[in-house]
Amino acid sequence: MTGMNHRLLRFHAATFIRWRHLWTPELVALLFALFVFVAPTSASTRLEDRSLFMQNNSPGSTTSYTVSFRYMTPVPVNSVDMLFCISPIPYEACVTPPGLDASNVVLSDQTGETGFSIASKSANHIVLSRPSGGFTASQLSSYKFDNMKNPTNVNQSFSIRLRTHSTLDASGPQVDFGSVKGQVTEGVNIETQVPPMLMFCVAQQVEENCESTNETYYTNMGQMETDSTLVARSQMSVGTNASGGFAIISVGTPLAAGTSVIDNIPTPTESTPGKDQFGINLVANTAPAIGSNPEGDWANATPTADYGIPDQYKYVSGDVIAESPNVSLMKKFTISYIVNASPSLRAGVYSTTITYIASGRF
Amino acid sequence: MKRFKGIALVAIAVLMGAVYLLPAAPASAQSSASLSIAPKKNYVIEPGKSIDDKLTIRNLDRTQTLELSLRVVDFTFTDNGGTPKLFLDENAPQTTWSLKPFTSIPKKVSIEPGATKTVDMSVTIPANQGAGSYYSAIVYGTGASEGGNVGLSASGVTLVFTTIPGQVKENLTLKKFGMYDPTARGDLKGYKFISEKEPTVIGYTLENTGNVAESPVGSITIKDIFGRERTIDNVNPAGSLALIGQTRTYQACIKLASQNEGFEGTTAAGSACTSSGLWPGYYRTTLDLFYGQNGNLTKEIAGKGSFWYLPWWFVITFLVLLAAVVIAVWRAYVIVRGKISGARSRKSLRRRR
Repeated sequence: MTGMNHRLLRFHAATFIRWRHLWTPELVALLFALFVFVAPTSASTRLEDRSLFMQNNSPGSTTSYTVSFRYMTPVPVNSVDMLFCISPIPYEACVTPPGLDASNVVLSDQTGETGFSIASKSANHIVLSRPSGGFTASQLSSYKFDNMKNPTNVNQSFSIRLRTHSTLDASGPQVDFGSVKGQVTEGVNIETQVPPMLMFCVAQQVEENCESTNETYYTNMGQMETDSTLVARSQMSVGTNASGGFAIISVGTPLAAGTSVIDNIPTPTESTPGKDQFGINLVANTAPAIGSNPEGDWANATPTADYGIPDQYKYVSGDVIAESPNVSLMKKFTISYIVNASPSLRAGVYSTTITYIASGRF
Repeated sequence: MKRFKGIALVAIAVLMGAVYLLPAAPASAQSSASLSIAPKKNYVIEPGKSIDDKLTIRNLDRTQTLELSLRVVDFTFTDNGGTPKLFLDENAPQTTWSLKPFTSIPKKVSIEPGATKTVDMSVTIPANQGAGSYYSAIVYGTGASEGGNVGLSASGVTLVFTTIPGQVKENLTLKKFGMYDPTARGDLKGYKFISEKEPTVIGYTLENTGNVAESPVGSITIKDIFGRERTIDNVNPAGSLALIGQTRTYQACIKLASQNEGFEGTTAAGSACTSSGLWPGYYRTTLDLFYGQNGNLTKEIAGKGSFWYLPWWFVITFLVLLAAVVIAVWRAYVIVRGKISGARSRKSLRRRR
């Protein structure tokens, strides 16, 4: 133990006492400052305030693009590389946006860091170059390209990956980098593309493809008793080729006769004869024995959680009862209705209209 | 004259008979409730300009005429997902992003069985309207049925989005990022740090506090403890929107299975998350997102996360192996200690002798 202490003391004496005139607080601060200021300049930084303005963003049209950004690293830049890809991420493989063509572009205007001309161009690549680069200002620079042909896919955005270089031909290490995002939007009449469709039908019985129904849009449930449950069923079929999928909402009041209303079931609950209850679900049940599970190949179209529990019923107007998060071709749902009445329920003819609303998703 | 009277009496009798018989088949008087519509429309319209478009509606029913009433309603988001919440009440207050005052559509449309009809619609933007996103929905109602305890009615909805170009306020904030349970359907409770089920989805939740609906793009990288990377290169394949004021959860499949099927004479491309093939262990995730409207700054969002995939079979196997190693080491220790102490005692015995 004594030997150990001895060694520590000798180490302390060697490193601290002998060199204490060098390890001054000023020197330590200087080293930290060097770490802070020197390290970042050795790495690429992101071009700031990047933007893309497309004069006309309808698919396939020929228009002008204005690419703007702020140079950040204070070193001379002699070339700018612009690569048009679907993904904006610089290290990912570049897939050219379908339909895009930059091979005929003309540099028609430039502001900020100027003096550039097009050194090379292809369908998805432009290199700007200038003979004697400087770095004059930190103001926004912009470059306008005419004769640019837009991509054609309205469902996919695209990007321009930007890199600046000190070399004349965009080779060697990059100075700064960054990406800008663009998107073409749907024209009014696009004859060449298959438009998204939402197909929907409702009746007491429907075919999965909605081409025929039993043409009955109401159901008589019979005489209410306090010791039994009245049941009914209807069907709906729905499908969409839209990438966003669909949602079906049920809207309508619970069964009512004048001011007397049978309570809706606000949370999934079992059917209890003798208690005022009005509820629905979209699956096969055993208590009471009614309904069936959704029919169709597409697994992504399903009843929502609260309406997909066997023998549990719920009804809240405005609830989403079935949905699909993406493309789902025709799927048929059977809706089961249950009505229970308490002994105190006023006599009368109880009725309602339920509207099923099929909507696209955003 | 007598002959005319006779014909008139027969005609009246036939008419009365028809009137008497009609209520016996009320469904035949009902409109079809089978329709096909466009689920979404997107426009870019400059202030002071308008756009004329067509709404294509098809009556899928081959026997009944489709009688539709059309109206424009506002909508917002229901939750963290992409389901619209429609303001169906006639007296619902107009939203700040409403297209209602700018949209013209016919009020009634009648379509023969199996036929398709196109109706005119237009959106006219006033000259002083500010830049941003505006949206409303067109509701196609088939009308209510008559008779019975439960009447049925069907409606379709087209969501109409219009962007007014110009300088807009864009601000997306990353609220959460990580492994996600797709059954949670957008709920923030769906984020998991440890999962015994194979992860199939990476989720990210963005809050939109700007005045424009945003559709981010970008990628997610998943790295295991050995540094092997897997990239999800399209984190928003459906171009889903975060509406104004919405906190939206996006779900990106680690591995996507595509499915092409015929649909109405065309091919529809569907996709679903499939088995990711990830091995049990610890994973780090990074998110790179880009968003920005035409002519506005392209903004970036970066996020980092991590998760454990620990299925029960792996945990049990690991514990069994660990126990086996501990027992083996302990037994080896006991054996070695026994041999050493045996050798010492033999040495000491020899010394004593």
